[in-house]
Amino acid sequence: MGDYALLYILFAPFMGAIALIFVSNRQAMLVRGIAAGAALVSLLASLYLFYAYDHVKGGFQFVQRFEWSHQLGISLHLGVDGIGTPLVLASGILLFAGIFVSWHIKDRTKEFYIWLLILAAATIGVFMSLDLFFLFFFYELSVIPMYLLLGMWGSHTKQYNEMTDPEGLKRRDSVGFIFNFGSNSKEYAAMKLVLFLSAFAVAALMGILLIYKFSGLNTFDILVLREQAKLMNIPVLGTTLDKIIWLLIFFGFASIAPLWPLHSWSPVGHAAAPAATSMLHAGVLMKLGHFSIIRVAFEILPETTRELMPIAAVLCMFSIVYGGFVAFYAKDTKYVIGYSSSSHMGYVFLGMAALDYISLTGAVMYMFAHAMATGMLFAMAGWVYDQTHSRDIPALGGLSNRMPFISGCFVVACMASIGVPGTVNFIAEVMIIVGSWNKYPFQVIVAVVGIVLTLAYLFKMMRGLFYGPMDQKYSHAHDAVSLVDRLPLLIMITVSIGFFFFPMHLYNVVRSGVDPLISKIIRVVPVASLNREAFDVKRETTDPPETPDAPLLTSNPSPLTPHPSRGLE
Amino acid sequence: MTFALTISPSDLLLLLPEILLTSWLCLILIIDFSFPRLPNEQLAYFSIAGLVATLGCLAWFDITGITGTLFANMFALDRMALFFKMFIVGSTILVILASIDYIHRFKFFRGEYYFLVVMSALGMMFMASANDLLSVFVALEFSTIGFYVLVAYLREDMASNEAGIKFFILGIFAAGLLAYGISLVYGETGKLVFSDMQAAQATPGLVIGFLLIFGALGFKIGAVPFHSWIPDTYHGSPTPVTAFLSIAPKAAAFAILIRMFFVALATFKPIWALLIVAVSILSMTYGNIVAIAQKNMKRLLAYSGIAQIGNLLIGLATGTKMGSDAMLFYLLTYLFANIGAWAIVIAVSEAIGSEEIDDYSGLGRRSPFLAFSMLIFLLSLAGVPPLAGFIGKLYIFVAAIKEGLYVLITVGLINIVISLYYYLIVVKKMYISEPHDRSPLKISGPIKVVLYVCLAGTLTIGIYPQPVTDWVVSALLMFSNLADPTASLPVPPAVIPFGG
Repeated sequence: MGDYALLYILFAPFMGAIALIFVSNRQAMLVRGIAAGAALVSLLASLYLFYAYDHVKGGFQFVQRFEWSHQLGISLHLGVDGIGTPLVLASGILLFAGIFVSWHIKDRTKEFYIWLLILAAATIGVFMSLDLFFLFFFYELSVIPMYLLLGMWGSHTKQYNEMTDPEGLKRRDSVGFIFNFGSNSKEYAAMKLVLFLSAFAVAALMGILLIYKFSGLNTFDILVLREQAKLMNIPVLGTTLDKIIWLLIFFGFASIAPLWPLHSWSPVGHAAAPAATSMLHAGVLMKLGHFSIIRVAFEILPETTRELMPIAAVLCMFSIVYGGFVAFYAKDTKYVIGYSSSSHMGYVFLGMAALDYISLTGAVMYMFAHAMATGMLFAMAGWVYDQTHSRDIPALGGLSNRMPFISGCFVVACMASIGVPGTVNFIAEVMIIVGSWNKYPFQVIVAVVGIVLTLAYLFKMMRGLFYGPMDQKYSHAHDAVSLVDRLPLLIMITVSIGFFFFPMHLYNVVRSGVDPLISKIIRVVPVASLNREAFDVKRETTDPPETPDAPLLTSNPSPLTPHPSRGLE
Repeated sequence: MTFALTISPSDLLLLLPEILLTSWLCLILIIDFSFPRLPNEQLAYFSIAGLVATLGCLAWFDITGITGTLFANMFALDRMALFFKMFIVGSTILVILASIDYIHRFKFFRGEYYFLVVMSALGMMFMASANDLLSVFVALEFSTIGFYVLVAYLREDMASNEAGIKFFILGIFAAGLLAYGISLVYGETGKLVFSDMQAAQATPGLVIGFLLIFGALGFKIGAVPFHSWIPDTYHGSPTPVTAFLSIAPKAAAFAILIRMFFVALATFKPIWALLIVAVSILSMTYGNIVAIAQKNMKRLLAYSGIAQIGNLLIGLATGTKMGSDAMLFYLLTYLFANIGAWAIVIAVSEAIGSEEIDDYSGLGRRSPFLAFSMLIFLLSLAGVPPLAGFIGKLYIFVAAIKEGLYVLITVGLINIVISLYYYLIVVKKMYISEPHDRSPLKISGPIKVVLYVCLAGTLTIGIYPQPVTDWVVSALLMFSNLADPTASLPVPPAVIPFGG
């Protein structure tokens, strides 16, 4: 099966969704079984992919290419490098866990699993696309299922549910209610999410179309474009074309990441979504942003990336601090986790902005680690909501008596989210901090403050939910006892802790993807700023130090403290 | 000029589809008069049989490559004409299938309904072949006369009568514009056939003449600022007629537009491209913004149709072979999504007697199949992958970016987002809102067939468009002499003109 691993991972969920169409909603167990089976195939294939990926060889592996439209220059070109592989694995794990987290959904079970599978498959598709068209295709395909998942199985906020007077009920049902920004119904959240992401996606599409036109190669293939596209030094509107393209691509994809001024759809969306959707959404969907920026902007426009990436370094501070403070004051469990996710995504941007081997490796590992941590948190927030029908932290409390297993797991999830040693998050965070210190010391200090903030709001939420006095109306709440309910949490905890003790393979795989990318970005000299002679001289001097770097660090035996001297040299 | 009209049997072969359909038309009328007690479905299936035979004949022409011109170039049967004829006949079949249920609402003349539909289709087949201004006029009026009657077919319904009057008055006005424009153009050039006019000078009379002709065709396709009849006429007409009106005449008018702009006016491209860009931007923006406020499904689809025409005009504005390929492709994707959506409006209005968006509440629970189909069609209209509409929009944008129409593409992309809003409002009603009444809906067999065909078309074109792109590219091979943007591309201009 080796060569076709990507096809199994990508098409198993699609096939599962198609098979589900022909099953009746009354056979609930069969529906769940098919969904779980499809997710299992995808998970096993992605595990195989992860361990079969040859990090010594590096580059794009398991490549599949099918001609799709020769008039438009599109082919279904799939392949993963060291950056895509762990993210595919994370999607596989979260999809499998998500199927079990939503095991008890009664309303339109079949439709729920169909959309969930399509959502996950589309996400996975982005992580393995080597064609700009298909990258966008899968990206946009992942947005619409979110609308239905949020709208049909989501939950309203407290304010919305309190509008029970006749006037309020009338207003709740009007179409124009979607513009009522204060009350955050699930319809509002779903619509906001789709419109926001689509609006920025079309900006990215404009960037993709400009690349297509000005490369003149009549192809959307990323591997061809990154070798042959000459997009530099085309003056336009008082600046150069590559900058415009880069900004379109960067902000187009950063909206889903979500970078600070573009984040507002995300917490609202997380809050409204059902647990499994939030898991996938925060766990992997948000990483589509970082991943697409790396895949498109870093690969095709390396010079411009080096020039403009400081934008991300500035904005990520706002992400970290703003997200952290809002999460601290939020009263709704899912808002806390949602804002914490958007705050933590700031770390990834910091790691990317530093354009350093260690920091970018850390950023990719952090994406993987965060997927597990936030997946656990959302799964448990969902469990608490299912049991108590409340997400209001002040109203809840003392649930640890009723649900010892959940509260135990919650502690682990908080530890992972904070980045306490013992979870893979710690390794990733340390790598981001160490790697970025050289270039952005101030941002690193902000990031460390952000970690303290994380600690504060997560512990505050933990205390609010599980300790203190318990309201008697929650006495019927019960723990996750059956295997089906415990399995997803156990899987994610195992992965999170397991990769702390055995991080070598993850590190090597990610590093093999990061190395060629960073060496390409930091080697090239912007042609615009230098004349030809200076270019040649400079090139000679910058070339040599690039090579010894990589082997030195790949052979580093202890990635727990990834060569701290490296950051200070 | 003199016409030497000698018709040989081999010339008649080129007219075979039209002759076949004309004789079938007479048969329909004769059968309707001779057997007044014949159930209407029988007549419908009889009409469909004729149309299928015509479609087969056209497909045979297309495969064996039978092409040619007749009557001193008035009537051209090339691959493009064949494409449009198949398109029109195919959409007519789907419309007749969708109207079998609806027909009981007509108090009188149920049999003539099929006659009129097929007659309009015949007129539009001539439009697809019209290669000079006279045959444009004759064919266009021939097809429109059928619609004047069809639009007002619900005699007891005031809205239908209003729609008929509105359509008739504005249609006659457009016919006047067309005739006046033709006379001006003929006066300036002394030519009527498109291909003879190629080298003409741009005199004021010629410009005004072509503007008038464009106005008349703009009325047919319903582009802003010639759109004012669309919402009321679509709303008032019997729904199957609306479905027919929203796709077939537009395709036929686009056939004429392509011939006129790409053949007769190829040398003036920089001038008319600006005009088309302006009309396209206005149509997209106006259609999408006004559609947001609609509460009636038929009006929503009417305004969304105006916006879709704006999208199609992007392809025309490019003036390249690839742009026209993209238009043909887009028309096909629009055919399936549009007819499918209208068929659902028919099915829902048959079941619950309402066309208000609010009454679509809970359709996802009452009829999962209808709701799912509607979801697919609306998302295809909006341009969401993996549906046909997405590929259609992308094809048009790729063609446009090669010509450097940045402003137009930007407006088009923004409009995708605006249109998503109102399509998703309908999706919200269908899937998220609770139904007023939980009883399941019944769908009749013919409507199901239409929906299956449209679903299959929308999904397969979206997932694997290669065969269809090959088809449209080969249908327009005659335009391959037009400037091919890929050939001269690698040297970009020093300063990119951001604008038209």
